[in-house]
Amino acid sequence: MLIVPWSLQVTSRAVFEPGADDGDEVYKVGTAFPLLQALQRVNKRLLEENPDESLLFDVVLITTNTQQQQRSSSIISSTRHYGLDVSRFCFSSEEDFVESLLKNNVQLFLSADRNEASQASQKGVLSALLDQHSASCPPEQLKVLFSGDAIIRPDTDPTPASRQGAQTFLAQLGEMRRRFGAFDSPLSIVLVTVTGGRESCGAALRTLRSHGVSVDEAYCLAGAPRAPILSLLRPHFLLSDGLGGLEE
Amino acid sequence: MKIQKQMQQLQLQALAGHRELSQFPSQENAVTIAVSSRVLFNMEKEQQIYEQQGMEDYIKYQVEHEAEPFSPGPAFSFVKALEAVNTQLRELYPESEELFDVVLMTNNHAYVGLRLINTINHHKLFIERFCMTGGNSPIGYLKAYHTNLYLSADSGKVREALEEGIAAATMFTPEKMTEVSETQLRVAFDGDAVLFSDESERIYKAHGLDKFFEHEKAHENKPLDHGPLKGFLEALGKLQKKFYGKGQRMDCPIRTYLVTARSAASSGTRALKTLRSWGLEIDEALFLAGAPKGPMLEKIRPHIFFDDQMFHVEGAAEMGTVACHVPYGIAQRVTKKGIMDKEFSPAPK
Repeated sequence: MLIVPWSLQVTSRAVFEPGADDGDEVYKVGTAFPLLQALQRVNKRLLEENPDESLLFDVVLITTNTQQQQRSSSIISSTRHYGLDVSRFCFSSEEDFVESLLKNNVQLFLSADRNEASQASQKGVLSALLDQHSASCPPEQLKVLFSGDAIIRPDTDPTPASRQGAQTFLAQLGEMRRRFGAFDSPLSIVLVTVTGGRESCGAALRTLRSHGVSVDEAYCLAGAPRAPILSLLRPHFLLSDGLGGLEE
Repeated sequence: MKIQKQMQQLQLQALAGHRELSQFPSQENAVTIAVSSRVLFNMEKEQQIYEQQGMEDYIKYQVEHEAEPFSPGPAFSFVKALEAVNTQLRELYPESEELFDVVLMTNNHAYVGLRLINTINHHKLFIERFCMTGGNSPIGYLKAYHTNLYLSADSGKVREALEEGIAAATMFTPEKMTEVSETQLRVAFDGDAVLFSDESERIYKAHGLDKFFEHEKAHENKPLDHGPLKGFLEALGKLQKKFYGKGQRMDCPIRTYLVTARSAASSGTRALKTLRSWGLEIDEALFLAGAPKGPMLEKIRPHIFFDDQMFHVEGAAEMGTVACHVPYGIAQRVTKKGIMDKEFSPAPK
């Protein structure tokens, strides 16, 4: 595990189609590092299956902190140093970053900062909060976790735009997952339903399927505490009610 | 922010048609029993497809037959009996969370999930918690759910669970299944290397039957060490006491049996004294002095029987009892001759 010595905030963002502009989010490098490695691994495997593959993750780093922007060259050289595959670097002011996300058709915004994720989400950008435990997530397999209780109640999505964004994301994620078999996939899709019983989980499975996503692992907690299960699953990020993130 | 989340939570519950709290017992108070999909349901045909044609065909078949419920497997009647006990416990203690909680713990991918959910619905089972691990080991999840007993068709996983201190057994499907009670749960245990440790069995194996009797007599008052299923017997005892508390001792909906090759005249005493020293009760103790267990079990008709020796497990299954193997202790060192202990008769228990 490499931890960058300076406490720069580095944003990363996953996009699916190369060439699309994306907005960015800020992370501490340590937290996001295994996620970027896992994303890279998925890309690598996708290209192994099909060298002409166009459905790939496109990672853009965004930095909003002016202090850090002054050290932009360090950011760039660090990513190179750690072999991180970043296609673009974006520098934006704190007030404007959501605007640039929207302008650039960002498909998924990942941040370790709850406020930033919340702001972006409220403006209709699909956002997910990076787990503070993400730093210890395994880089070999990208685990995307859906919190099922959010899926079956779309009325709580902040905006129609965000719902549309979620649907596009789901379709593409599902498509990407289908490039691999049941075993040895670099990408695993996990569903957790927390409060409801098996009917809730069944409904969530059906809803995801209708959006083109086949789930690999499903956990129906029916009221059991979710922290022990989540610490076993160690997802890289969690998609919940538009905000993402894990409750304490 | 926190209040918002709480409001969301409440909304969620209302929308999801949230059931009574007592129907989702919390982990600490419930007796959690995890069953794999292959023991709860009959998935023989699908298992064959998986073994012969591989994962992709298996998944395809499952999804194609999603609306077809599986038929019951060997653990089915056991689970139904657990639910019958729950119904009776709820009548007596409506607020209590001390109930059986059945969790479906399967290695299957969630692609099979809808078929499993449809099957649970079809058979009107009350299983609301499950883990479909998509190929990952279930052991961590067993621990996370404070599992009191894990039943699987996969002996490898059962061994792993035992190593982690979780009571577990490999369940086999009998050729025919004797009818069992729908209202009274009956659980039968072997003694050595199941409820008790395998210490006495080791003596028998090393030094023979006479030495075994001598040793047991000499140590009659020294309690045996505990075996992997002692905790489960304890959990059953706690629930039994709830019925006793309401005057239901004679016709208690839970009944336990010790079915041992030990003999009443000699080695059996140490077994009973050990149980007493643990503060545990067993309803019926059957000392077979080495006689085969099958016929006795056929009379008792337990929903489930635990033994550490495959010889006894097979014997029980032949006569229609749902028997489970506890792969623990000295009996697991199989001789190259094949089926263990057939040459030794009587087997010491």
